[in-house]
Amino acid sequence: MNCLLKVLKFFRFFLFFGLILVSLAGLVGMFLVFYAAKDLPQLPTPLSRIIERPQTQIYASNGQVLTTIGTRKTIPLNMVSQDFINAIIATEDHRFFEHHGINKLRTLKALYITLFQSGRVQGASTITQQLAKNLFFSFKQTYKRKFKELLVALQIEASNTKEEILHAYINQIYFGAGAQGIEKASRQFFGKSALKLKLPEAALLAGLPKSPTNYNPYRHLDRAIKRRDIVLRRMAQVGFISDLEYQQARLVKPELYREKTDSRTGSYFLDALISQLIEKYGEDVVFHGGIKVFSTIDTKLQSYARKSLTKGLEKLDTMMGIRNENSEHPQGAIVAIDAGSGAVKVLIGGRDYYKSEFNRAINSFRQPGSGFKPFLYYSAFKNLGYYPGTVMTDQPVIIPVKGAPDWEPQNFGKAFTGNMILKKALYKSVNTIAAQIVEKVGPAAVNNTARICGIKSPLKDVYSVALGTSDVTPFELASAYTVFANLGVLHEPFLFWRVEDAFGRIIFEHIVQEKRVLDPAIAYQVVDMMKSVIQHGSGRSIRKLGFNRPAAGKTGTTDHYKDAWFTGFTPTLCTSVWTGFDRKKTLVDVNSVGITGGRSAAPIWADFMIQALKSDPERDFPIPDNIRFEKADTRTGCITDREETAFEDSENIEVLQVPLKPEQHLCMKEEQDGP
Amino acid sequence: MITATFLVSELRFDWFENLVGSYLASTNEFRPQTGVIWEAGKHTTNAHEYLNKIINKKEDTQHNVHKASSFLNLISDILPGEWVTLEKNHFQTLYLTLEKSMADKIIEPAQLVWLLKGSMLDRIFCEGIPGGIKIYFIDSENRVIKQIDFEKQFILEIESAQQAVTGEFSEIEEFSGRIYTAENFFDAVFKLPPDILPDLIVNPEILLAQAGKIINIGIWNVSQNGYIKLGFEFEEQGAKKIVFIKGREWAVWQLSLYLQGGEN
Repeated sequence: MNCLLKVLKFFRFFLFFGLILVSLAGLVGMFLVFYAAKDLPQLPTPLSRIIERPQTQIYASNGQVLTTIGTRKTIPLNMVSQDFINAIIATEDHRFFEHHGINKLRTLKALYITLFQSGRVQGASTITQQLAKNLFFSFKQTYKRKFKELLVALQIEASNTKEEILHAYINQIYFGAGAQGIEKASRQFFGKSALKLKLPEAALLAGLPKSPTNYNPYRHLDRAIKRRDIVLRRMAQVGFISDLEYQQARLVKPELYREKTDSRTGSYFLDALISQLIEKYGEDVVFHGGIKVFSTIDTKLQSYARKSLTKGLEKLDTMMGIRNENSEHPQGAIVAIDAGSGAVKVLIGGRDYYKSEFNRAINSFRQPGSGFKPFLYYSAFKNLGYYPGTVMTDQPVIIPVKGAPDWEPQNFGKAFTGNMILKKALYKSVNTIAAQIVEKVGPAAVNNTARICGIKSPLKDVYSVALGTSDVTPFELASAYTVFANLGVLHEPFLFWRVEDAFGRIIFEHIVQEKRVLDPAIAYQVVDMMKSVIQHGSGRSIRKLGFNRPAAGKTGTTDHYKDAWFTGFTPTLCTSVWTGFDRKKTLVDVNSVGITGGRSAAPIWADFMIQALKSDPERDFPIPDNIRFEKADTRTGCITDREETAFEDSENIEVLQVPLKPEQHLCMKEEQDGP
Repeated sequence: MITATFLVSELRFDWFENLVGSYLASTNEFRPQTGVIWEAGKHTTNAHEYLNKIINKKEDTQHNVHKASSFLNLISDILPGEWVTLEKNHFQTLYLTLEKSMADKIIEPAQLVWLLKGSMLDRIFCEGIPGGIKIYFIDSENRVIKQIDFEKQFILEIESAQQAVTGEFSEIEEFSGRIYTAENFFDAVFKLPPDILPDLIVNPEILLAQAGKIINIGIWNVSQNGYIKLGFEFEEQGAKKIVFIKGREWAVWQLSLYLQGGEN
C-alpha cells in the first residue's frame, strides 16, 4: 500500500512537474511570439500581389527585348512544367504538402548539428520558410531573424493554400544570370516558356537556386550538370520519376539558349545605359518604374563585334605566348557608332563581362597615341593654312618646354626620312613632324579641335598632346572620329532613342541634331589622309584582311606598347578598337617585338567591319565642291604627271593624290620653305 | 508524461503551429509594411509618382500648346526643359496669323511650303529653352530637317510691330460703328464670366508693353481663322496709335452682347 502511495506521489510529482514545465514552456513560447509579432512584417493578400510588378524592359534597335530589370511578372502554376514543380519540391522540401510551415524533425536535426558539431551548419528551411525569408528578410543570419522567419512561415501557411505558396515561391526564386522567377529563368537559359521545360532542363533549373553563381550553366556547365544529376536522383528517391526516367534524363546534355549568351555580351552596353538612365530618372524609376527603353544597340553587330574581339584577343594571346591558364590576359574594347545619327550600335567593354565587369569602353582612360593626330592636322590646316601637300622635314627635333626638360620626340622606327608632304607624314605616323606642327599651332588649338569633336576627358595643354598623351576612352575616340566621317558634322552619341512609361506614354525622345563643327573641305582633306593610312600606312593590314571598302582611320600605339588602338570609319559607321593590359603592361610578342595598333587592334576592326557592313551598299566619302585633286611628289610636294604609287618607284619617287582647296596649289614657293 | 503528450500531439497534429499562424494572421493588418518586398513596393510607388508627374506636366503643356493662338502663347506655354509636339496644321495656322513681312523673318514661305508639303517631315517638336523655344521639324527617324529658334523678345517685337499703327480710329473704316470708350469697354469686359477673359485678350503682353493710356477700343468687322481683331487706341503726349490684338471670335461676340447696351 505504502509502495502504491509512493508511486502515486511520485507520479503526482511528475504530473505537476510536467504541467509546470509545459505551462512555463507555453508562457515562454507565448511571450516570444507576442514579443516578436509586434514588428513582424505585414503579409499582403493575396501573397503574389506584391511580387507582381511591371518590369523595366530594354529593347534593342530591332525591337528584341535585351533584358528586363526590376521586379517580375508572375505566371500561374498550370503554366509551369510539372517536372519542374516536382524537381523543386523533391530538392528543396519533399514534405512540402505535409507540414504546416516547418519541418520539425529536420529543424531539430539541423539545430543539433549546428550546435554540437563544430564547423558544420545545417539548413532546414522549408519552401515556406524560404519564401518568408526571400520576401521579407535580409540574408543576415541571426537567431532572431530565423525565429521571425519561422513565425512568418507559420502565418503564410495559416493564410494561404499550398498552391498559393508554391505559386509565390517559384515566381520569386532567383536562378542567377539576372533571372528571377521560373518563367524568366526558363526563357533565359533555354529560350522557352516554363511550361515547355523537359525533365533534364527542369531538373537543371531546380538545382540552380542553391547557389546561382556556382552553378551558373553559362560559366560552369559541368557543375550545373552534376547538380542536375543530384536533383534527378532526389526525384527518383522521392518517387516523382522512375529509375529508367532518371537514367535517361542523366544522359541528356541540356542545350543552353545561345542567343541569350550573345545578348549577355550586351552587358557592358546595358551597364552604361542603365547608368545613364539612373542619372536621368533615378534608381526607383529604372528598377521599379516598369519603363520601356528603346536602345540603340544593334544585336547583330554586337554579336559580330563580340566574335571579332574574342578572336582578335585570342590571336593576341598566341602572338604573346599567353596560355589559357595564365592569370593575366590582354583586354580589349570596341565601340561602333552610326555616323549619320550618333546612335551607339556596339559597345563592348572587355574580354568577358563575367570575369571583369569593368567597362573599358567608357571608363578606361588611356593614351590614344597617334590616334590623336587627326585633331592635330585639322588644327594646322585650319589655323596655319597648311594642307596635305605641305612639305615638312622629318628630322631630329628638340622643343624647349618652360620649366621642364626639352621635349625630344622620337619616331616609331627611330630613323629620320627627310622631306615629305603632310599626307605621307600622317600615314607614316611621323612623330617629329607632328611635334613641329604642334609647336607652331599650339597644344590649345589641338585640344580645342578635339573638344569640338566631342572629347570630354581632361586634355593637357602640353606639346606631347599631339602624340596622344592625354587619356581618352574608346567611346570618346569613336564619337570624335564620327565628326570626320561626317565631314565636320557632330552628332552627339547616345544610347537610347526613346523611353516610355508602363502605359506606353513617351517620357523621352532623342532628336538627332546636326551641328557643324569643322570646315567640311578641311575635314575632307584630313579624311583623305586617313584613307591613306588604311591604303598604304600603319593600317594597311586591314586591306590584307579583305576589307576593301572606302574607309579612313588611324592607328595608335603608346610608349612601350602599353596601348594599341585602331579607330576608323566608313561614311556610315565609325568604330574604335583598343587593346592592352589593365595594368598598363607592355604588349610584346614571343620574339620580344612590340605589338602595334596595326597588329592587334586593326585586325579586330577589319574583321568586325567586314561582317557589319556586308549587306550595306558600298559608299565613298562625298567630295566637297571646293576640293580638287592633284598628284604630288611626296618629297618635293610638287605637281607631277606620274601615276600614284604610294611607294617609291625605281627613281625613288613616290606620288600621292592630294586634295586641295581652290586657294591651295602644289609646290607653292612658301611650301618649299615650309609654311 | 504530459509534456511528452503535448510534444507528441504537436508533432502529430501541428496544433501549435496552426494556433500561432492563426494568431499572427489575426494581427496582420496592424503590423508594419516592412521588409524587402514592401520596400520594393515603396520604390515602385515613388517611381510611378515621379513618372506621373512628368507625364501630367507634359500633358498640361500639350493642352496649353494646343490652345495657343500665337507664337507668343506658344513660348509662354513651354517652360525651359519641357517639350511637346506641335501639329503641322497648328504651326501653319500660327504662321498665317502673322503679317507676311513678319512671317518671312521666321521662315521663308517657300521653305515652309517645302517643309510642310514637300519634305519628309513627320512631326514638329517644340522644346522650351530659357527665353524662348526651339522648334524642330523632324522626319520619321527623328532627324532634324530644320530648326528654328524662337526668342520671346523677338516674337514680342514681331507681333507688336505688326499690330501697332500710328493714327486714330476715324481713319479705319472697318471699325466704323464698333468703337467704345475704354471705360465702357472694360465695364463690359468685367461683366463677362472670368474664364472667357483669356480668350478675349489673348496677348495681354502686347498691350502691357505699350506706353501711354488706352482711350478707345474698336472691334473689327470681319473674323479671320476664328479670331476677330481688336484695336486699342493709345494716347501718349498727344500722339495717338492703334495697337491690334486678336480675340477668339466667340469671346468677342459675347462681349459685343454686353457692349450693345452701352454707348458707342
